[in-house]
Amino acid sequence: MSQASQSRTKNTLNRVNRSRSAAQGGWRSSVHMGVLAAWVCLMAFGALVVWSASLTIADASISRHLLGIGLGVACAIVIWRSDLRELANISTALLVIDIVCIFLPYVPGLSYNAKGMTGWIRFPLIGLTFQPVEIVKLITVFFMSSLGAQYNGRIDTVRDYLKLCGMLAIPFVCIIIQGDLGSSLVVFFAGAVVIMMSGARKEWVLSTIAVIIGLVSLILATDSIIDGMLGDSASLIKQYQMNRLLVFMDPTSSDSDEAYNLLQSLIAVGSGGFFGKGIGNATQSGSGFLPEAHTDFVFALLSETFGFAGALLLLVLFGILMLSTVRVAIKSDNLFLRLVCVGIVGMWMFQIFENIGMCIGLMPITGIPLPFISFGSSSMIAQCCAIGIVQSIWRCRTKSA
Amino acid sequence: MDAQLIVLIAGLVLLAAIVGSLIFLRGYSGKYTYDTKDGTRPRASEGEGNTLGVTFKGRFRLLTLGIGAMLSALVARLWSMQMVSSDYYESLSTQNQTRTVMTSAPRGRILDRNGVALVTNRPSLAVTAYRDLADDTVLVRHLSNVLGIPYVAALRNIQDNTEGAQARHTIASDVRRSTIAYVQEHAADFAGVLVDERTERQYPYGTLAAHVLGYTGTVTQEQLQAQEEAGDDDPNRITYSSGDVVGQAGVEYEYESLLQGIKGEQVVTVDATGNVTGQNSSVEPRAGSDIRLTLDLTIQKACEDGLAHAIEIAKNSGYENAGAGACVCLDCTNGDILGMASLPTFDPSVFVGGVSSEVWSELNSEESGTPLLNRAINGQYMSASTIKVLSALAGLEYGIYSSSRTTVCTGFWTGNGEANGKKCWLETGHGTMNLRSGIANSCDPVFYDIGRDFFYNDANPEGLQEMFRRWGLGSVTGVDLPSEAEGRVPDAAWKESYFSDWPADQRAWNAGDMTNIAIGQGDILVTPLQMACVYAGVAMGGVEYTPHIFYSAVGRDGEGDAYRYNGTGSKERLTAHINSEEDLALVRGGIHDVIYTTDTSLASHFTNLPVEVYGKSGTGERTDEDEYAWFCAYAPADDPKYVVAAVLEQGGGGSATASRCIRDVLGAIYQTPDTSSDSGNSAVR
Repeated sequence: MSQASQSRTKNTLNRVNRSRSAAQGGWRSSVHMGVLAAWVCLMAFGALVVWSASLTIADASISRHLLGIGLGVACAIVIWRSDLRELANISTALLVIDIVCIFLPYVPGLSYNAKGMTGWIRFPLIGLTFQPVEIVKLITVFFMSSLGAQYNGRIDTVRDYLKLCGMLAIPFVCIIIQGDLGSSLVVFFAGAVVIMMSGARKEWVLSTIAVIIGLVSLILATDSIIDGMLGDSASLIKQYQMNRLLVFMDPTSSDSDEAYNLLQSLIAVGSGGFFGKGIGNATQSGSGFLPEAHTDFVFALLSETFGFAGALLLLVLFGILMLSTVRVAIKSDNLFLRLVCVGIVGMWMFQIFENIGMCIGLMPITGIPLPFISFGSSSMIAQCCAIGIVQSIWRCRTKSA
Repeated sequence: MDAQLIVLIAGLVLLAAIVGSLIFLRGYSGKYTYDTKDGTRPRASEGEGNTLGVTFKGRFRLLTLGIGAMLSALVARLWSMQMVSSDYYESLSTQNQTRTVMTSAPRGRILDRNGVALVTNRPSLAVTAYRDLADDTVLVRHLSNVLGIPYVAALRNIQDNTEGAQARHTIASDVRRSTIAYVQEHAADFAGVLVDERTERQYPYGTLAAHVLGYTGTVTQEQLQAQEEAGDDDPNRITYSSGDVVGQAGVEYEYESLLQGIKGEQVVTVDATGNVTGQNSSVEPRAGSDIRLTLDLTIQKACEDGLAHAIEIAKNSGYENAGAGACVCLDCTNGDILGMASLPTFDPSVFVGGVSSEVWSELNSEESGTPLLNRAINGQYMSASTIKVLSALAGLEYGIYSSSRTTVCTGFWTGNGEANGKKCWLETGHGTMNLRSGIANSCDPVFYDIGRDFFYNDANPEGLQEMFRRWGLGSVTGVDLPSEAEGRVPDAAWKESYFSDWPADQRAWNAGDMTNIAIGQGDILVTPLQMACVYAGVAMGGVEYTPHIFYSAVGRDGEGDAYRYNGTGSKERLTAHINSEEDLALVRGGIHDVIYTTDTSLASHFTNLPVEVYGKSGTGERTDEDEYAWFCAYAPADDPKYVVAAVLEQGGGGSATASRCIRDVLGAIYQTPDTSSDSGNSAVR
């Protein structure tokens, strides 16, 4: 054999080996690189933002944030290694788990009140606090997907469509009763995306939207009357929620806390400029003008510190994450997992748009954390679980033998 | 009603939406359409892509579009905020974290013409703290005990934001030095308690010249409003904020812009709760300018003491209602006001640190004689016989009463007919009088003749009033003090409009009105300062300088004058036309005789002065009141310099009481006290 032919044979062998290993799973086939990269970058960015916040805000503990990331990564890996297809068949069980989780904060041994808010549980013995509603978002996505997958991509009767809507209403109303309007809207939006992707007709969706608009306007209009008759605590819309809505309509209309928060947030974002004020120089969030600068208003802190460039980077990362996840959904051939994937995308869409939108005056103020960025372990763990789910779906994208 | 309407509309919208949806959805209620011919073979209701892959493709495209739209909306909004409007938000952000705190500047001092301080500042120690001290209740309680004020009051003072939220809030001002020492010795116990050195107005001579100096007070709401309406036309104008101390009367008010210092500015950084976290730049406060007045401390004192002395004489002579009056001393060569007294007076120090409403209403009440009124410029009185010098000049100039004409005074003048007969003050009659002796004896019938003859003179029926106005009566002198009265020279037009609700025949100008004003009675009104100006004009041959109280603004270094009054120190007010020197000489002769020949008792008080004094008494008569005593004089007669005018409300005859005030002032000027013990009570009016 000549030297040349030997070399050619070796090259061919290498190529064949490479392609075989790729086909047989390996790194690339079991992990979606786009999702992974966006996820890692977002968590790193978030850690940097929380660290910069920790310089001036006592509550923002970078070590606790890193602990949340660690737990989240662990959860993600566990979920990634598991096969979620089986969940498609236990929709009733999912609903039960969902409702149990929603009302977990009312269980006497577990309930924990922080800053006057309910919705927290504290695990006995280890003393960790957790917001079950973050996990409820994902469970609801699974629940709705398991229902939606039954129709095989096309909902043919209005009865089925309305049944799906009714099923979504159960966790939605439960979370409202529990007192977390923001999260219930996340669940609602994610579930609605799942229903739409399940094959609901556009016309049905549009008429449903019309009904909802009418219903909401009725509730808003009657709110003051119900308040007058039964008191604020009895009505569906609490006074602070009404204030948030009014302030959103006209930021200068009142001098309430909500108006102040919105104004300070706008100033923080706007004064950031192109490159931002730099780490530690964010006067708005650093001097306490901006409330909740490390949690709900973390985007304002980020924008003030890193400017338009930083905000744009964040949005690009979110864009890559969501589009990659849509890609995962397209590649998956299991309808249930596809719906789970788009449900997670819907959840992110709403949370990102609402959270960033409220910081820049596009949306009314609600207390929803920004995925991967906001300080808070509950949200971080739940969002990492969502990444684990997406990666698991990618890993199981082809029909198992 | 409104809310119900909204509910109704929302309900209708909801109903319409539900009905609409139901109708809409009915169209799709069947999954299959049944073909009766070909059996019940299911058929798709619509031609949409039937396979899973195709339908999902469209949905995913929609979802991707949704993600793209959402991100684009966020980026667009961020672009507009962070790139386009960045400067606007930047300025808001800076505004957020810095506050400008004002530090007060001491007011300028007020000096007399020789540099003696009439108003100064005294240091006043104030205990202050930033707002957040209120959180430490134990400390505040302790502090309130030490300061001897109620806890609630101390807390309220700390939380009171009128001085500005980030400024130091005054807890107590004018605190005793021993208390301050205690606080400073126990600095550890009083962390956050600060001692500020401030200044308060101080009046070394008590009530001296109180009316001229005026007083200071906190800027009023009306003044702040007026300032707001005036706008910022003048960049040098001082802008006041609530709580500032400003001049409210007298020189303090008139020369506020000089006396008021320029406040210092301290830029502090604050956190979100408004607590001061650091201090940036600061501009030191600049004290206001010291100003010198034309007042001479000695003469001012003499005016006040002389006035009090004259009132005492009046009271001893049976005029128990005497008590109010005014005395003014001018330098007729330039208009400098050397002394200006007004009784009753007040103590300007009661205004320091705010005046209580009780004291304030007492100072303004009729019962206490409205002591805040500066009677020298704002008191309007009938001029009485002091005006006869002008009546005589008018009579001479218009050919009404020549120097050779005589009037026989019988004590009762019937020139306007028996029914309208008028008494001379000397009811026994003066006998035959000419103009000079008429002035000297203040013989009324001489001037009744002048008044009547003017009334019936077709050429110059109001020549008398013209003469009065020519010498500055009926108009303000232009003195640089606030709220000067302009007096009144009545004429036919005035009477017509003033009594407009009277029948026409009663408000018609008549000969009686004319004879009244010829002797300074009736409706004529003058201020003591106006009369002083008239006599200054007589002394100076018609030239009157604008009386003024401002001498100069003292230079910043404390030496020399930065600015004199009107640049040169004097301003000519008017030059009254003199018909002939002989007329003036005749009048001057008359007012010489008033003092030296008419009455030995009056003369005895003046003969020992080293200079010759010309002057005229006056006695105003008002129904239901005792006579108002007047006296106006100037000296030296040959080279006039000092003009003194005095009026005593209900003080009796001018030559008996008011003249003694004049004598005391001249005595102080020439250092020759009145040695005459003659209290013969000159009767000349």
